[in-house]
Amino acid sequence: MSTENASENKIVTFTLAKQLFGIDMSSLIEIREWDEPTPLPGVPSYIKGVTNLRGNVVPVVGLAERLGWEPSVLHARSCILVVSIDGKQAGFLVDEVNDIVAISSDAIQPAPEVENGEQNMLVGLVQIDARGVEGGEKKQTMVSLLDLNALSLTRHLDLAA
Amino acid sequence: MSDFDDIQAIFFEECAEGLAVAEQGLTAMVAGDTSPDIVAGVFRAVHSIKGGSGAFGHSALLAFSHCFENLLDEVRAGRIAASRHVAQTMLSAFDVLADHVAAAQGQAPAPDDRAMLSALEEVLRTKGEVGDAAAAPAPADAQAAAADVVDDGQADEADEFGFVPVGVSLESFDLEPLEEMPQDAAPSAPAWRIRFAPSREAMANGAEPLLVVRELERLGAMLTMAETHNVPPLRELDPEGAYIAWHLTAPAELDEASLEECFDFVPPDSEVDIGRDAETDGVAVHAKAEDVVPVIEALPSAQIHPLPVAESPRASTAAVPVTTLPTAAGDGQSQTIRIDVAKLDMLLNLVGELVIRNSILSDRLAPVDQQRVELPQLGRLTREIQDTVMSLRAQPIRQAFSRVPRMLRDLCAETGKQVALDIVGEMVEVDKSVIEKIGDPLTHMIRNAVDHGIEHADERVAAGKSAEGMLRVSAEQKGARIFIQVRDDGRGIDRERVYAKAVERGLIAPDAQLTGEEIDNLICAPGFSTAETISNISGRGVGMDVVRSNVEALGGRIEIVSEWGVGTSFTMVLPLTLAILDGMIIRLAGQRYVLPLSSVVESVQPEPGQVRRVSPTNEVIELRGNYVPVKRLSDMFGVDPASCTRPEDSLVIIVEHDGTGLVGLMVDTIEDRREVVIKSLDQHLYPIRGLGGATILGDGSIALILDVDALVASPTGNGSKFALKGMAA
Repeated sequence: MSTENASENKIVTFTLAKQLFGIDMSSLIEIREWDEPTPLPGVPSYIKGVTNLRGNVVPVVGLAERLGWEPSVLHARSCILVVSIDGKQAGFLVDEVNDIVAISSDAIQPAPEVENGEQNMLVGLVQIDARGVEGGEKKQTMVSLLDLNALSLTRHLDLAA
Repeated sequence: MSDFDDIQAIFFEECAEGLAVAEQGLTAMVAGDTSPDIVAGVFRAVHSIKGGSGAFGHSALLAFSHCFENLLDEVRAGRIAASRHVAQTMLSAFDVLADHVAAAQGQAPAPDDRAMLSALEEVLRTKGEVGDAAAAPAPADAQAAAADVVDDGQADEADEFGFVPVGVSLESFDLEPLEEMPQDAAPSAPAWRIRFAPSREAMANGAEPLLVVRELERLGAMLTMAETHNVPPLRELDPEGAYIAWHLTAPAELDEASLEECFDFVPPDSEVDIGRDAETDGVAVHAKAEDVVPVIEALPSAQIHPLPVAESPRASTAAVPVTTLPTAAGDGQSQTIRIDVAKLDMLLNLVGELVIRNSILSDRLAPVDQQRVELPQLGRLTREIQDTVMSLRAQPIRQAFSRVPRMLRDLCAETGKQVALDIVGEMVEVDKSVIEKIGDPLTHMIRNAVDHGIEHADERVAAGKSAEGMLRVSAEQKGARIFIQVRDDGRGIDRERVYAKAVERGLIAPDAQLTGEEIDNLICAPGFSTAETISNISGRGVGMDVVRSNVEALGGRIEIVSEWGVGTSFTMVLPLTLAILDGMIIRLAGQRYVLPLSSVVESVQPEPGQVRRVSPTNEVIELRGNYVPVKRLSDMFGVDPASCTRPEDSLVIIVEHDGTGLVGLMVDTIEDRREVVIKSLDQHLYPIRGLGGATILGDGSIALILDVDALVASPTGNGSKFALKGMAA
């Protein structure tokens, strides 16, 4: 069923503030369990600090806060998605990692325009099959695809500076 | 033949050695030391490079080294005086030679050597502009000439081997088996005697007669004599011709077939005589005694360098190929290998991970179990690996400074200025990548200093300075930064002219109000150059702005300090990415921080009342009658004071800061003192004010490295977005 023109992407889905989000699989380096990072002085509150990732000092970001949601509450399934954005690595604190799904780029719908001058951090929206359906009845659920470049920490700071 | 590449690799190693010897010698010659030893050393170095290049078919290298050698030969023979001019020319020729060697190795395109060749020929033709060769004492001249002929013979013999590194220490050569050899080369058993005289064209098809000799040696044969009487004088020598015949003895137990097998690939018109001892004994006897060189006798006393002229020169010189060949083969495995820095980084990171896993393991295992699985031993080993890997990347900055002396000499020769050089701090260790990247900026800074800064001798004298200018190149590590400074005592920056030029070039508005510093910094603006005439040193307007962009690409900045008539200093302030820092590990509210030890003056456990509040927000500590401002690290880092040690139990660490002198930092406690690897924060985040980076401690946790200067300085002048404000500490 693979189509030639519409490329198929794999995305990682995860939960933040009970919402389902997704990022492109190719950006993902690894998933780690939560480990209290070393706090940094004078940084925005969503930067939780830095952690040691295979000898690299990598920032850990409260992704929920970064996106303007309530800060994540740490729990047993909290984990860190380590991603690479333009060669820079960052760890995103997420509430739960759900799945890896393949989506067709055709299926991505544009995200609604944001109004208040905030930068749009979404690539788009996509429907995927919901997990754990019962009775063979498939349910669809919405995933917000994040634009990692828009999330880039350095970029945000350039704008703020 | 599969050995070819290996042998060629050895040749290139020897080229590198030869180049080092030649550079040293030529440098000494330029400095005025033209003793025969030195000249001969350079000659031999160039000569052996030439020899090898012929053997391996590097024709461009061969042609150039040949020309270079001709000049050296004349100098060595005393027919051309080793004047400063000649030495300087040869030093320049050396550069081209080095380029040729690099080209032969495929590391670089072949250099354009036409100008250099004609310069060399010019010197040869004009006899170094001296022309009074007659002035030289005739006997010495004759003797030198005589020695020259001999040397030619020797040297060209070496040519055929292509492996004559000069000054190879015989100490490194295992002489024991040779001493066991019969001194008279006449073993009692009827050993095999072999004479091998390759045809003149032996090397024409890429064959290498020497490999035959090696093969025989592998079978246990001993080289006993070499006939060198066929070797022509240097100028008549065909570098690809074979002139030498060898005599070898082989153990009697070898069978003839295996010996003959060695000659399978020898050109048909070569002479090969294999016989039992008695049968071929006559060969050596019949050869003219002085032409047959008793190799073995020469060995124990073999003194390759300097060349003995008076007593039996051939004996010792003939020993060269024989003694050095096994050395070259034995020591051929190079002492250094090239490694991709990325691999080194990966290794470093993985080792760091290993250390962490190790400590996690030790946390989770009871001490008894740790011992049972020998975890402590594993831990020590892991840490040793980590230390070693860490040391791999840090290199003394000497590597970057090593080319400064000759660069300066070249500049002096080109500009006619006299400049003395002072290099300071070449042992400062910086990351390899930094060393690689400061080369160009450093070159530009030095060129700039010589071309624009330092005046001509007459001008200097007129200004009341010494005729010789002074250039000081220094490196210093201060905290998490390295300062690389080029300082001259020249005329300083002419701010009026710089200003006028900047207006003319449209870099600034005609009515711009600039401070002196800002004008100085215009030098680094793109497209700026004040050179009156375009010289080939600087003046293309690509100098200092390249420096600035290079330095900024490294995350550093340029500081310019200049005083009219007194001098100028350019300082590259670079971060020590991945460099190793000697740090004091301090603790505050459970977090660990690293304080660069270089900025720590002392630590004080304050007595009650020693720390006093002078305003609601300011405290001082009384230190032997002086009041030193105290800052609480908890305030600076926004740490909840409740989670810190009570102030009366805290420590105050007195640090020194460029701008404000002594400042006390209040912390909970000092934990340790150790070297840490600096990881810059902007690799994955962005630079954070007050932090020089971070480091990963042995247990895998991260400690932030404090940037004392930024912490202690008043938080104003921070937003120096305008790079012109390079002076901010």
